[in-house]
Amino acid sequence: MTKDVVGSVMVVGGGIAGMQSALDLANSGYYVYLVEESSAIGGVMSQLDKTFPTNDCTM
Amino acid sequence: MDLSKCTSCGDCEAVCPVELESGYEEGLATRKAIYKKYTQAIPGTYCIEKTDTAPCKLACPAGINVQGYVQMVKVGNYKRALEIIMEDLPLPGILGRVCPHGCEDACRRCSVDDPLAIRDLKRLAADRFDPREIEIQCDPERDEKVAIIGSGPAGLSTAYFLARRGIKSTIFESLPEPGGMLRVGIPEHRLPREILNKEIEIITNLGVEIKTNSPLGPDLSIDDLKNQGYKAVYLAIGAHKGIELGVPGENVNGVRQGVDFLRELSLTGKTEVGKKVVIIGGGNVAIDVARSAIRMGAEEVTIVYRRTRTEMPAFDEEIEASLDEGIRINYLAAPQEIVVEDGRVAGLRCIKMELGDADSSGRRSPIPVPGSEFELDVDQIIPAIGQKPDLSCLEEAAGLEFSRWGTIEVNSISYATDYEGVFAGGDVQTGPWTVIGAVASGKEAAESIQRYFDGVDMVEGREPVTLDDPVYRPYDKEPVKHRLQMPELAVEKRAGNFDQVELGYTEEQGQEEAGRCLNCSYCCDCELCVEACLPGAVNHRDQALEKEIDVGAVILTSGTDVFDPDKLEEFYLYKSNPNVMTSIEFERILSATGPTSGHLVRLSDEKEPKKIAWLQCVGSRDQNQCDNGYCSSVCCMYAIKETVIAQEHSHNGLECSIFNMDIRTFGKDYERYYERSKEQGVRYVQARVHTISEVPESRNLNLHYVSEAGEIIEEEFDLVVLSVGMEPAKSAVELAGDLDIELNQYNFVKTEDVSPVTTSKPGIYVAGVIQGPKDIPHSIMEASAAACSAGSDLAAARGSLVKERIFPEEINVVGQEPRIGVFVCNCGINIGGIADVPSIVEYAKSLPNVVYTEENLFSCSQDTQEKMVETIKEQKLNRVVVAACSPITHEPLFQETMKDAGLNPFLFEMANIRNQCTWVHSSEKDKATEKAKDLVKMSVARSAFLEPLDYLTVGVNNPVLVVGGGVSGMTAALNFAEQGFATTLVEKGMELGGSARQIKKTWKGADVGSYLDELIGQVENHTGINVMKGAEVVNAKGFVGNFETEVKIGDLKKTIRHGATVVATGGQATETGEHLYGQNPRVTRWHDLEQNLEKYPDAESVVFIQCVGSRDESHPYCSKICCTASINQALEIKEKNPETNVFILHRDIRTYGERESVYQKAREKGVVFIKYSPERKPVVTEAGDKLEVKIFDPVIQREMVIETDLLNLATAIESSANETVTSAYKLPVNADKFVMEAHAKLRPVDCATDGVYICGMAHYPKPLDESIAQAQAAVSRAINVLSQQSVAVEPIVSQIDQELCIGCGLCVESCSFSAIEPEKVEGKGIRAKNISALCKGCGVCAVACPQQAITMKHFNNDQIIASIRAGKSVA
Amino acid sequence: MAENYEPKILAFLCNWCAYAGADLAGVSRFQYPPTLRVIRTMCSGRVDPLYIAEGLVNGYDGVFVSG
Repeated sequence: MTKDVVGSVMVVGGGIAGMQSALDLANSGYYVYLVEESSAIGGVMSQLDKTFPTNDCTM
Repeated sequence: MDLSKCTSCGDCEAVCPVELESGYEEGLATRKAIYKKYTQAIPGTYCIEKTDTAPCKLACPAGINVQGYVQMVKVGNYKRALEIIMEDLPLPGILGRVCPHGCEDACRRCSVDDPLAIRDLKRLAADRFDPREIEIQCDPERDEKVAIIGSGPAGLSTAYFLARRGIKSTIFESLPEPGGMLRVGIPEHRLPREILNKEIEIITNLGVEIKTNSPLGPDLSIDDLKNQGYKAVYLAIGAHKGIELGVPGENVNGVRQGVDFLRELSLTGKTEVGKKVVIIGGGNVAIDVARSAIRMGAEEVTIVYRRTRTEMPAFDEEIEASLDEGIRINYLAAPQEIVVEDGRVAGLRCIKMELGDADSSGRRSPIPVPGSEFELDVDQIIPAIGQKPDLSCLEEAAGLEFSRWGTIEVNSISYATDYEGVFAGGDVQTGPWTVIGAVASGKEAAESIQRYFDGVDMVEGREPVTLDDPVYRPYDKEPVKHRLQMPELAVEKRAGNFDQVELGYTEEQGQEEAGRCLNCSYCCDCELCVEACLPGAVNHRDQALEKEIDVGAVILTSGTDVFDPDKLEEFYLYKSNPNVMTSIEFERILSATGPTSGHLVRLSDEKEPKKIAWLQCVGSRDQNQCDNGYCSSVCCMYAIKETVIAQEHSHNGLECSIFNMDIRTFGKDYERYYERSKEQGVRYVQARVHTISEVPESRNLNLHYVSEAGEIIEEEFDLVVLSVGMEPAKSAVELAGDLDIELNQYNFVKTEDVSPVTTSKPGIYVAGVIQGPKDIPHSIMEASAAACSAGSDLAAARGSLVKERIFPEEINVVGQEPRIGVFVCNCGINIGGIADVPSIVEYAKSLPNVVYTEENLFSCSQDTQEKMVETIKEQKLNRVVVAACSPITHEPLFQETMKDAGLNPFLFEMANIRNQCTWVHSSEKDKATEKAKDLVKMSVARSAFLEPLDYLTVGVNNPVLVVGGGVSGMTAALNFAEQGFATTLVEKGMELGGSARQIKKTWKGADVGSYLDELIGQVENHTGINVMKGAEVVNAKGFVGNFETEVKIGDLKKTIRHGATVVATGGQATETGEHLYGQNPRVTRWHDLEQNLEKYPDAESVVFIQCVGSRDESHPYCSKICCTASINQALEIKEKNPETNVFILHRDIRTYGERESVYQKAREKGVVFIKYSPERKPVVTEAGDKLEVKIFDPVIQREMVIETDLLNLATAIESSANETVTSAYKLPVNADKFVMEAHAKLRPVDCATDGVYICGMAHYPKPLDESIAQAQAAVSRAINVLSQQSVAVEPIVSQIDQELCIGCGLCVESCSFSAIEPEKVEGKGIRAKNISALCKGCGVCAVACPQQAITMKHFNNDQIIASIRAGKSVA
Repeated sequence: MAENYEPKILAFLCNWCAYAGADLAGVSRFQYPPTLRVIRTMCSGRVDPLYIAEGLVNGYDGVFVSG
């Protein structure tokens, strides 16, 4: 159907969703460009103390 | 920043002067301009926050980095401040006194309170450090020489900047002393001569010669200079000739030009001064003359100025000072004639003026008022209305052009005149202007002269830069703090002397004033960090790069913003009261790494709060105050979590109240969490707070609300937490626009229920809250689903762009004596600055088996790594110890180095002498050194016992088994098949479709029936899918990549080999006996009604009861989908017949996310919602042909009776029976029989058993879109394994010696991962056997084994005991 | 007991939590006595009673297991 498919994906945003997408794709054979505006990945989740409903430490 | 060089040591941060609010800490703490986002940030490297050039620097004609030196003054680093200033200005102390400071007019602090006292801070730096001591970098000396005419600021500056370019110059000065107007135009009380002399020395110290008494003129022409070998001439003769008044009597005794008056006074220390002196003019010269005259003994000094004070060009502070000193200013008056008696001034006739229209300069023109003449009694008149250049010396110079104002014409960028090799600048070119302007022109001329010598275009690339819409650090939260007054000499001490009036700030004052700087550009470019960074990772010249990248797909996950309650300040008092905070800020307060280190305290008084209120739905479910009609989905749960955690943090008991409309705990295990919080005393108030007021002094908050029972209540709290919702980020909306993808009504990315992660544009997928508010597990599901969708598009190119590294063949070290190499890292000064690294290295040499030692500045740097590889080879090392930072962060890097050197990576060991030594014992240097030695000794001892380990690999079967043929199972099967993985779909029933068969529409209205038909068709016809209907999984064995599952169809049994399993066994609505269900045909369950809506078009009244057998003891969880389903059904009934009365009896309406819109619509359409509590459930009775429902309405506080034709019950959703499946794959289920995921938050699709994935309602009740997303996610997760040829098993595993094993089974019991199983061994009986693929390397089995038959690789007894013994010596 | 008594402690820290926590203490520059000697294990469950005995026999004043 298509001639040349490019085996890479750009993921925009390095929060929890972006990181998960990037990991899944990289682990299944695609080259991933993870683009994050700030200096570190982690997004809003990295600011949280604990997570419900297990009260696990977010880090 | 060069990320490969940054070692995350933080030395840069320590020296950075710029303190900014930390965004990560929500502004509750500060960070530096060079910073790491948070302690555990990945990447762990630092970065610098910068923006456009600050307005002060832009306003400065010389372009001085004002913010830079202000910050240096703030931290008391005057030397660096001067270095920054002198980059662009050679005369810091002079300009620090006399600069007109345009920078202060541009200062953005003007909008907050007063501008920063920039000039005075510059002076402070020059007062505190001798600028002559600053080392000036000069290029190698060149041959060309330049003649500079005039030693004023323009001439001096040109000489300075030429010298820095290696070009020698000679300054020719006509007066007996150098300095130009600085010396003869500015009186000493403003600029002490000692300062002037000192700063002229800065220039002469660079080898510049100043020839005084050397005027240009008949004896020295420009041509003479050229003949003397000067290749270029710079004319900077200034403007020293006073402009005449043009009134009668100007040439008599007693009339003197202001500039002449000041010049004589400066050069000789005296001049004739009258008793009653009038000065005419309103500029700085007029004021300087006036203030000099009064110092020289004039009794009455008056300034006559023709406009008002507003128009006066003199500095404001100068006008103030002159008034202080007793000088009078006669505004709106102009001289008409000088009254002469006996050839001397006897008076001055003036006329009053009034202001007319604005002239071309924008100032209003003065117009004489007829008949208003008056006379002043004076004996000296000093005109000071302006100056012009004295061009008499240039009359002979052919080629120079002059303007009509008597100034030299030059090219506005290069300052070149039309006379070849002649340049001009300063007042002679501009007319009388500022010192800083003259300095700037000198700097530019120096550049031009060098280009002239080099034969380069003098103009190219030098056009002034202007910034459109510059972006600066916002100041809206900056508190008002007024400018510090400059201390001055008391007025009574000024008479009769020229002592400096402005005394200069003290250091403390200066630092305080500098602290007012807003840091508009964030980073101040002081570059202290460059010096501090030993690895050289900081580069301030880095520029943003634009790159174009070819990709096959795009996934958008850029999230949302948090609602900013600033917008509703009047209501929430968020900005004005520190005891009102957002939930995110409260998270930071609770966090151990947060601004209060996890101590629960209020920010206003640092006291622990005793009573906290959470206000729900701030910026959500609100179309009045903000435009966010949706529910943010997560706030109820996080608020409850915050109450629970806050209670844990509290020392003296804490009362927590949550003010809400509904509590929406609809996720897995959320309802239990909610119920538990109630038991722990969290109070839930169903009310919307209508007013918040501050209690004076305590700064507590009074909440005013109406209780459920209608009472008006006012209640006081110590702290109010606003449960802020999510809001589409502006940047995300812009991005969507750029990518041309559709957004929905709330500006979230639009998707369809049946393709939840697919945007309107092919190839672009979406995940997380950018698509709509949702919690973390749901975001993660979507993230994997998007990866699956992108993977489906790109399956043909899988693996085409990933690269694998090749390493040299491994050297066999078995049987060799240990040859240990020890590399000790200084980590810049992080280790070496505290511990004595050379002595550690020396010590390491003495340890057994150590054959090589080395000290590194940075062991992790690329060049050290390369050297290390060579050293390992040369020294034939077979064990390597690096004493540096932590193995958690750096072991993988050094293990790669081992592989590069041909050594097995497990022959490597780290001694953590930074994170766990020098960083934590920085005040005890000797003890830190001793401890580091011990740590090295322990590592060396252990390393002698290290053994090479190999990664085991287990081949992967890549077919897949999907259990369950509903929408989830079919979606999974189809996605697997499309990506080329052979799939078996096992369905218990005789047809595919599952519970979706009972639904007509999704909540957004998509037709489920036709979707289902299409999906079933695709699945049944796909050659890659083997559909087995009427089939059941009966047993399974194996592990990830290698499962064998037994499936039974009728009497047939079939074994399927596969690499991964997806469990999608679904769920169903529970049966019920309540509310006459099954007894009266008018009582239905939700799907009965869904199928038969059209059967009841004539009903007068329909009642829905929610939570039947749900959220109670039998099913203590929320079934998530029922509220939305009932409301949609109600809407459909209303649509068919608006006259039908529809009632929904509920406990909370949980239309989460954008589903809130249907709730809102239902209310608009007249659906009646009545809340009931489980203690007062509705009671249903038959009433003749109809039904009667009795319910207590809390709003009107009485019982209601509703007569109804139909009653629909929303019963709980439960997991379909799946015990054989869960037990076959050893899947744990929760108390509600739903399959448990590996991690509730982070691995919502993976099961505890590797290689098994869960999706759909077998996991938890969920709507169609979420089931589809989770099914796609399961595919993505499985393909992570299936796309590999083999799975590598970590070599750090347990190893059983079956010779020593006695088959007791303790290890089997102790293993949490089922990685050991009993095995029958011929002739021995039962023996334990490792399944290494499942082993996590914890070592519990080794401890449990009574026979010591189990060895833990890489952590064996020999290795650990060697460490224990080595560490025993006490320093 | 002498006033300047500084007990020497042998610590077994789990790679996944306590050891990472000790690293974080470093990043945060928390100061504590320099008499702790850390051995990293893949799980605190790896700590054999034998190791504790070995520590005490070898003169450590205490053994700390964290994970």
